[in-house]
Amino acid sequence: MNDVLIELENVGIAFDAQRRVGGNRFWALEDVSVSLRRGERLGVIGRNGAGKSTLLRVIAGILAPDRGRVRRAPVSCQLLSLALGFTPHLSGRDNAILSGLMLGLRRSDIVARLPAIREFCELGDFFEQPIAAYSSGMVMRLAFSVAIQVEPDVLLIDEVLAVGDAEFQEKSGMALRERMGEGHTVVLVSHDEQQIAAHCDRLLWIEHGKSVLEGGRDEVFEAYHRQLHLSGAHA
Amino acid sequence: MRQHLIELVLFSTYAELRAERARSYLGLIWWVLEPAMQMGAYWLVFGVILKTGGPDYLPMLLIGLTVWQWMKSCVTHGGYAIWTNLPLIRQVHLPPLVFPLVQMLADSIKFFYIFVLLLIILWCFGYPPNMAYFALPLVFAAAFLAAAGAGFVVAAIVPMLPDLRFVIEQVLTVVMFLSGVVFSLKAVPSPLREVMELNPIAVLMEATRGILMRGEWPNWVGLTKVSAISIAACLIGITVVTRLAPRYPKLAT
Repeated sequence: MNDVLIELENVGIAFDAQRRVGGNRFWALEDVSVSLRRGERLGVIGRNGAGKSTLLRVIAGILAPDRGRVRRAPVSCQLLSLALGFTPHLSGRDNAILSGLMLGLRRSDIVARLPAIREFCELGDFFEQPIAAYSSGMVMRLAFSVAIQVEPDVLLIDEVLAVGDAEFQEKSGMALRERMGEGHTVVLVSHDEQQIAAHCDRLLWIEHGKSVLEGGRDEVFEAYHRQLHLSGAHA
Repeated sequence: MRQHLIELVLFSTYAELRAERARSYLGLIWWVLEPAMQMGAYWLVFGVILKTGGPDYLPMLLIGLTVWQWMKSCVTHGGYAIWTNLPLIRQVHLPPLVFPLVQMLADSIKFFYIFVLLLIILWCFGYPPNMAYFALPLVFAAAFLAAAGAGFVVAAIVPMLPDLRFVIEQVLTVVMFLSGVVFSLKAVPSPLREVMELNPIAVLMEATRGILMRGEWPNWVGLTKVSAISIAACLIGITVVTRLAPRYPKLAT
């Protein structure tokens, strides 16, 4: 059970506030430590601007830490990104291949999954048309159908839990819940506490770029709510 | 991992060409029409009005502009590629070299088609195929590496300093005039000419013209020097991009 896939130790990430010489830096993450074990479903909570999305990008390997350390086992880690690399004048099929390649799939894998993608997005003959002719809802259908095909060792989700119209929301939400329930390792960032409660066993609470508490779901939620009430009372 | 990246680069190149074709009304015709219009402009100024072109000006101009357009596209398109793809780089972990490389390959494929057309035109003008054609791949390899090296360096810096875009076009125009693209360096008076002939791009232009118009084998010593400079430029470009790579996901377009 002690199979640690990714471990962050006092990680900090700094951004330049302005594009000019001698501009200020601000620390989007100041000091976050967390470890992720295989099969674990970790939820990240905190207020707006706490650094949740930045943390996901560190775990994904997109951002390298400016201080602290990241240790990772040789596993694939992918942020669930919709419409990655989509190009308006290409067909749905070509965009699916392009997006899949960017998400780390091999071309043969994507081609083998094209029938599944086509079926899932329910776009019919539009699948062969340039996506410039799609409505935004149709683009999201295609985007989600491609993204859900990617099966990284660690799936990172930033608020995207369902897309499209009511019917497709149901379908995409279900597909994602299925994915999270399959024993995959998942890190979920969401403001929807019900979703977090439903999908995560462990929680990390961060505030102002610092980890406040990491532990079991109920324990962290309780402390988090206590804090919210306290700060609410002060205001 | 490596094979996956090759697949990504190749498919992205195909997608880039395909999207470019679909973006405009006339599509592929622009690949030829755009350089043709440019050639017309230079021919009018230097060939007709100033009459400084000399004999064989038109084929000389055709060859110069075709090769130069390819090199210039590699520098500008490749040079802006990381910057324009920053939204993507913020979302997914990919080596940033992929983006300029895709643009350069797409431009090279376009160049290939235009070059075939150029050959046909030259044959019609009375410059037949010859044995020296075998040296062309070497000359073009050196030209590509030089352009790619410059393109990688630009690509590395533009995300940090987008203002550079306003300078690049002007610099390239100056380089074009200094490299004997639209006029022959032979028309330049003596001490200055020897200096200008040190320019590697000028060497490549002369080599290409010698092969296509006169059936001359290139100056091997000169070409070897240029190749060494090109390889060095390419290595420098790749190193700069790789060094700066961790900073790109933090930048805004």
